[in-house]
This record gives sequence, C-alpha cells and structure tokens, in this order.
Amino acid sequence: MAELRTARYGGQATAPAGEVRRHRPDYWLIVLALLLVAVGLTVVYAITPALSVTDGVTGAHYVIRQLIAVGLSAVAFLITARIPLRVWQKWQMALLIVAALGTLVALVMPVLPQYPAHRWIRLGGLSLQSVEMVKFALLFYLGTFFANRYQKGNLGDSKQTLYPLLVLICVAGVVIGGIQSDFGSTVVIVAMVASMAWLTGMPVRKIAPVAAVLVLGAVLLIASTPYRRERLATYLHPESNCLTTGYQACQALIAVGSGGIAGLGLGRSVQAYGYLPEAQDDSIFAIYAEKFGFLGVMVLLGLFGVLFARLRSIIERAPDMFSRLVVAGVLAWLSTQMVINVGAMVGLLPVKGITLPFVSYGGTSVLFVGAALGLVFQISHYTSFGTRNVQRRKDGGDEDSGDGRRLRRPYHSDLSGRS
Amino acid sequence: MNSMDQQLATRPANYVQRARVWYALLVLVFGVFVIRIFYLQVIRYDYYKKAAQSDQLKQYVIPAARGVITAHLGDGAVPIVLNQKLYTLYADPTIVKQPEQAAAKLQPIIGGNVDDIAAQLKGKDTRYTVLKKRLTPAQNKKVLGYKLPGIGTEEQDYRTYPQGQMAAQVLGFVNDNGEGEYGIEQALNKQLAGTSGQLKAVTDINGVPLAASPDNISVAPVNGNSVGLTINVGMQLGLEKILKAAQDQNKSKDVSAVVMDVHTGRVLAMANYPTFDPANYQNVSDPSVFSNDTVTNPIEPGSVTKLFTTATALQKGVITPTTSFYDPGSWTVDGTKVSDVEEDHSTGQQTILSTLDKSLNTGATWMLMQMGGGQIDAQARNTLYDYFNNHFMLGRATGIQQGNGEEADGILPGPKDTGSGINLTYANVSFGQAYTATALQMVTGLSSILNGGTYYQPSLVDTVTAADGTITKIAPKVAAQSVISGQVSQDIISLMEQNNTNHIHEGFGYLDFGPNYSVGGKTGTAEIANPLGGYYPDKVNGTYLGFVGGDSPQYAIAVYNLEPTKYSGFAGAGTGQPVFANIAHMLVNDFGVTPKS
Repeated sequence: MAELRTARYGGQATAPAGEVRRHRPDYWLIVLALLLVAVGLTVVYAITPALSVTDGVTGAHYVIRQLIAVGLSAVAFLITARIPLRVWQKWQMALLIVAALGTLVALVMPVLPQYPAHRWIRLGGLSLQSVEMVKFALLFYLGTFFANRYQKGNLGDSKQTLYPLLVLICVAGVVIGGIQSDFGSTVVIVAMVASMAWLTGMPVRKIAPVAAVLVLGAVLLIASTPYRRERLATYLHPESNCLTTGYQACQALIAVGSGGIAGLGLGRSVQAYGYLPEAQDDSIFAIYAEKFGFLGVMVLLGLFGVLFARLRSIIERAPDMFSRLVVAGVLAWLSTQMVINVGAMVGLLPVKGITLPFVSYGGTSVLFVGAALGLVFQISHYTSFGTRNVQRRKDGGDEDSGDGRRLRRPYHSDLSGRS
Repeated sequence: MNSMDQQLATRPANYVQRARVWYALLVLVFGVFVIRIFYLQVIRYDYYKKAAQSDQLKQYVIPAARGVITAHLGDGAVPIVLNQKLYTLYADPTIVKQPEQAAAKLQPIIGGNVDDIAAQLKGKDTRYTVLKKRLTPAQNKKVLGYKLPGIGTEEQDYRTYPQGQMAAQVLGFVNDNGEGEYGIEQALNKQLAGTSGQLKAVTDINGVPLAASPDNISVAPVNGNSVGLTINVGMQLGLEKILKAAQDQNKSKDVSAVVMDVHTGRVLAMANYPTFDPANYQNVSDPSVFSNDTVTNPIEPGSVTKLFTTATALQKGVITPTTSFYDPGSWTVDGTKVSDVEEDHSTGQQTILSTLDKSLNTGATWMLMQMGGGQIDAQARNTLYDYFNNHFMLGRATGIQQGNGEEADGILPGPKDTGSGINLTYANVSFGQAYTATALQMVTGLSSILNGGTYYQPSLVDTVTAADGTITKIAPKVAAQSVISGQVSQDIISLMEQNNTNHIHEGFGYLDFGPNYSVGGKTGTAEIANPLGGYYPDKVNGTYLGFVGGDSPQYAIAVYNLEPTKYSGFAGAGTGQPVFANIAHMLVNDFGVTPKS
C-alpha cells in the first residue's frame, strides 16, 4: 500500500518494473469507436437524398456500403484483437512487403477518369486504398524498428537509426506524396515515424534537424507542383477563389459557420445538396457541424478527445516498448488524420483530401482503422507494473476501492503467451 | 522482455513524460480547434448564414401563363393563339462532371457537335449557359432522365397557332423573352402577360427547391387575361384567300383590306398580303412583313376621298344630291391647271353622281369651291379640314389595339395659307391626293357616314376574360357623334348605290348582287408621290371604299392594292374594285348579310 502510494505520488521512479498482468480490456475503445461510427452513419443516412441528387445514386447506396464496411471492420477488429501481438511482430516484414506490393499494383492499375490518382486497387466492384495497408503494416515495422534500437540503445546512432528512417520517409514521400499525390497520407506516415521516434526517446538533437529538413522538403514540394501551389493559395485566401480552387474550402466554412450554436438539425443540411463536394466523405465534418452546430461539434471533438486520452493511457501502461509503439502509431495515425481533416474543414489547414477516422464514408479507411483499434484493444488487456500509478489515476474511479484492486485481482495472470 | 524492462527501470519511464508532452500538444491543437469553431459558428454565425443564403436561397420568377387569344367562329369563339410548354436546356459548368460523356449523351437529343457541347460544358467562367432552346416535353424528359449533374431545363411558354398564319399581322408574336411584339400581342402585352409570381426558396445546387424552409417565400402568379377578338375566323380566312389571289394576279407590292361592322366600328376581318408565319417569326428576313399595313401604312387614298368631299358639301348645304354644274374641263388654282384623268373627259354639264361615277377631279374641286362660295378660299379650306380632321378623322391614328405606337397618323395639311399654294393643295385633297390616310381610317370614316353619323373608335377586342373567369365585354366606343346628318348619310348611301349600278351597266357585272342586297362603292386610282418631288409616272395604288347590306349598310370595306403591275384599265377599277366585289360576295354568301325586307 505504501509502495502504491509512493508510486502514485512519487512518480515512475520508484515503481517496480517487470511484472505484467492481464486484466479486463478497455471496453471504452469499442464504445467510443461505435459512437463515432454511428455519428458517421447517421450523417451519411441523413444526407442520402442530397447525395442521390448530386451523384445520381439510388436511395441507400452509401449507407448500405458503409454498413458493409463497418461489418468488415468489426471482423478485422476481432481478428487483430485475437491474434497475439508477437505473431504480428513476427510477420511484420511480410506485412510491409504485401503493403508495398499493394502500392505497386495501385500504381500500375488503370485509373478511372474521375479519379486520376493511382491510389486504388480495384477488384470488380471493390476498391482498396493501398496507403491504408501501408499505414497498418508500418505499425509493426516501425514498432519493431524502434523497439530493437531502444533495446540496443542505439537510438542516437545516425547510421543505425536516423538514416534508415530518412530513407523510409523519402520513399514514402516520393511514392505516396509524389506519384500518388497523397500529401495527407504522407504527413500521417511522417507523423507515425515522428511520434514513435519521440516516444522511444530519440534525442531531440536528432529529431530537430530531420524536422527542419522535412518542413523544407514540404515547402519545396508545394512550390514545385502547381496543384499544391494552388491549394496553398486557396488556403491563404479562400474567399478570393471561391468559384475555382477554393470552392471546397469556402463551402466547408459556409457549412460550419451557418450551423450556428445548435445547428440546422439532422435533416436540414443544405450544403450537402451539391454545394459542398465529398459531403459524405472528406467533408463529412463540415456537414456534421452544419447539422449539429457548435454544441454537436464539441460532442464530436469530445469523443475524439476521450478516445485519444484512452490511447495515451494505454501507451503509459502497456507492458512493453513494442506494444507501446504500436499504440503510439495508432494514436499518431488517427489523431493526425483527424487534425488534418478537421483543420481543413475549419479553414486552419489546406484541404488535403483525407478521411475523418471512423466517421467518413469510405471502406478501406473504416476497415483498417478498425483493424488498428483491434490491436490497441488487445494491448489494453495488459498492464505493466511500471505504470500502475497512471492506471490508478486514470481508472481509479471505475473501481470503488481506488486502491488498485484491479491490479491485485487480475482476470488472468498468465503471461505465457507473451515473452 | 526482461531485458527491455530492465532498461525501462534504468531509464525510468521517459516515454510516459514524452507521451504526455505529445498528448499536451494534441490538447493544444484541440484547443485551437475549439476556439476557431467557436469563432466560426458563434461569433461569425451571421456572416456565414448570409453567405449560405446568398448561395442557397434562390429567387425564382414564376411566370404567369400568358392569356390565350380567341376569335369568333359561327356563334362561338375558338382559340387562335395558345400556349405550349417547351424547355430551355442549360448547364452550370462549375458543377458538370465528365463533360465529354455528358455531351455525348446530350448530342443525340439536341443535335449539334459533341465537341462544341463539351466545350460549352467546360466553360468555367460562367455558371449558366444555354445549350438549346425549345426542347419538346419528350426531349426534356429524356435529358432529365440522364440525371447529369449541373445540367437542367427550364420551362418556357411558347405561342402556338391552331389557325397557322391566319391574322398574323393583327396578332403579332411573342419573342423569346415572353414579350409581345407587333399587333395585339404588343398592344395588350400587359393584360395578356399577367403578373408573374415569385418564389424564394432554399435549393440544391441545381436550383431545385428543397422541402419547406422558413426562408421560403412564395407569391403565386396571376395569369394573364384572355382576349376575345372581334375577328371572325371564317371571314378572316376568306379575306386572306382573296387578298393572296389578288396579289398573285395583280403582282402588287402589297394588298390590304379591312371589313368593319358599320354599326359598331368593330373590325371583323383585317389582312395584308404578303404576310408571315407567327410560329416561325424568327425565320423572317424582312421585318417589314410584321407590320399590319392597314394601320401602319398611310397612303394618298385617291378618288375614294370624293365620298368625304361630297358628304362635306352636302352637309354644308352647298350642293344637293341632284345638283348639276358646268365642268369647264379644268380649273386654274394658284396658277396651276387642275384637270381630270378620266378617259371620256370632256367639258359640259355634270352632276354629283357623274362626278363619282366618272371620278371627276374637276367635280370634287368644284364642290370644294362651293364651300368657299364659288372659289377655294380660307372658308373652303377650313370647312374641308374641319370635316376631314374632326368628323371623319382622316390622317389621325384611331387608337386601335395594334402594337405600341405602331399605328400611323398620316398627314392632312393644315388649312392655313403659308404662301406655298395651299389652295392647290386643298384642291388635290378634295379628290384624294396631297394627304395620306390608312385603310383603317378610311373604312372607319366611311362607316360613320354610312351609320347615320356616329364615329365609333375602331376596335379589335370584343371580350377580355380574367384568369378567374370574369368576362368583360368591351362595348363599342363612340368617339364622335353627329358627324354628318342622317339625311346626308342617306344621300351618300344612295349615291354609292347608284354609282355601283352605273358600274354594272358599264360592264362590271361582278358588282351585281341582285335586288335583295344594297351594295355601293367608289374606286380610287391614287398617284404615288415621289420623295424626290412630283409623282411617279408609272406607279399607282388601286383603292376602293364600299359597303354591303340590305335595308341599310352592314359591312364597310376598304381595299388598298399597292403598286399593282398587272391589270387593265384604271387601278381603282382594275385592282381595287374586283377585290371589293370578291369580299362583298363572300359576305353575302357566307356571313349573314341581312337581305332587304
């Protein structure tokens, strides 16, 4: 007890290490994910008549497709939650190769005229965005990469750590940012690398120059492609080109702003009727804001905030560095996409064409986000003693005793499945 | 695992701190978002609400249905101008997706070139471009069936004409903007058009109104009045046939005629040939054909004027119907010889009847001289001017419902002596030259003489039916009373009848209508002034004024046959008179002229 108290107030320094226990997983993850998915489905359902006007599809086209995607996503969640993390880690290179091959297939596949970017693998009526596979595979690859170097203590070694990472970032920048024109996903991948590097404890003096080079590279990239220059100009002066490149940014601001405090109401969105492009997809946040107003947006941001807080707390109590890094990767992935998407819709960031996790219509995104969350759910089963103080502080309220009963009465204490 | 946690212990939970720093950064970003969203949704709400409305709230004019136009047929009325809904196909290129595919779909329906249509669909500098006008309902349905984003149709009313070209110049047409041009359509445009309604509604991007919104405003249109014309369809068609035949035969520049109800001033038929097809007015190359010459083209009417000069002299009591006088063959007025053109012109004793029959210019001038007590003077001029201008209203627009300012006045020289041979001018006026009047003015003036002295303002409109079904009957409007006395009216009728009888005996058998009908008339062969001075030596107009009736005149008829080139004898008798006779026969045969009791 005294030890616990010390841990609680004295910080991590005195916490005993090395003991990992299995216990009840974090069901909040499921609750939060389902709430976010429900928000997305509700909005897509509510704007169905609008979508059928602009896209000429029949009634429930989008809702049905999204329901199927959510179903598949749930299956993916169950699979990733069940298959032990070490198995994923063992197959990390294979996964990365599959993702790379997928990207290659997407690059050589013929494109549809209305979607000229080489981002999709199309099989019959199905289409997969290859970059989502890459993000998923990178969780394990990067997790292993950093965990190994953490263990070996050569995080600060430029040759061993920094240069391979730079190569990875460059490849991602050229293939995903350059050829696939998916700047948003490139930023997500860089964010995953950066957060994992940060979390593992990479020295700031190593990270800072890379960050500087990346910012410089991004500026060059923007300056070199007319399409990005246009988007940036649009971002800086959305009103001046409302009818051309700034159209989506303008219409998004109008949708958000006209929502007011309480919103127009669920069935009342007007911007979805062809004014705001991608209303069910990248622009869904703005439509949500128009329907539910400031109060509704606070609820949605709150859901994301709580979800991210759960992820952070799982990072803190996760049993080992690899698990920790996987959760960190998922947090970087989800939070960066959310920030880029919402930032664009409220006019703080340039429009990037990236989905709002869980909420946006879009099969591949929903599927892999579900899979990623399954991994986190699996990891939330376990707590290392090293972080029990955090556990106590975050979750003490759940249990009446407030004395770490959960730690003393684990549902399972079998660690044989984990090394 | 163990070694990893060993290290963890040596480097105690650095990651926890780092995770917190990272999370703090995220919280900071959330904070910025919250502030920004608060700014957008709460502080700037009014601005964005307005911005949204300026995009979403569209104002539509709901067009009022244009009133139809009917005319008499038998005892009833039939529509002669109706509306049909056609569609204007337009595109908003900023919303159009896949312009090439859309163009390929549209081309089979609207014709033209796929590349041109695609180019129009790609024009990003406009949000409204018309692809095709006058789509039929079937074509419209087909286009809308494709559900092409950014492409829509608008309904527009177009006129259709069940009777084809009939009365085209009387009716006028309605242009693509829905405005009446020429004729009744222009004159009564406001009544026919009605008042358009207004719809302010929140719409989708294609402009289709969404379900009820508190911002929606709707004002229903008030449809236009329907107009019932005084025109008789059968008579109009018959008249047009006669005029076309006359134009074919005489190779005239233009043949016009008006049939008027003597007792009401109502125009029963009114036509010119050549004419045009109002349904395809846009294909007309010479817009002068749009004009209704019977009201827009005043000419020097020629000897038909002698009827008005005679009526004036009779009314002033300076002659009687049986007065005879010595015709010296010519009069010298203002130093110029005024003589006759009649073939058997000779000096000797003449009568009022022979003045009309032989169309003696000297006789008409003599009557004018009698108004001045034996010579053409101010009194003579004032008298003739007073009667022509104030009683018979020659050279004055009648105010009939045709066009907007389209009707012409004509010119009647004032009686004042300005030192440029005014007496000679008036001598010319007395037999129909040196002044101009339209066919409508002539037939209306004649009607006022024939009906006993009441000048009815000529009218083409019989009834006006409001959108709610209220019918307003337009009563004949008396513009002047006691224009001439009943006795003078009887005298003129009698003189015209005798003149007709004489013409029959002179060989114009077609003027014989038998003992049951009263028919009278006067020919005119009018010289045409050359704008450069003098008169054309080789061009004349053949005119005719006449009536047909039983115990009293029923229909007054004016004929203007302009610049005929193929005829025999004088133009009046050769080209005006036969047209009159054909019209009179048609009226007697088919349109209920009441026989003498």
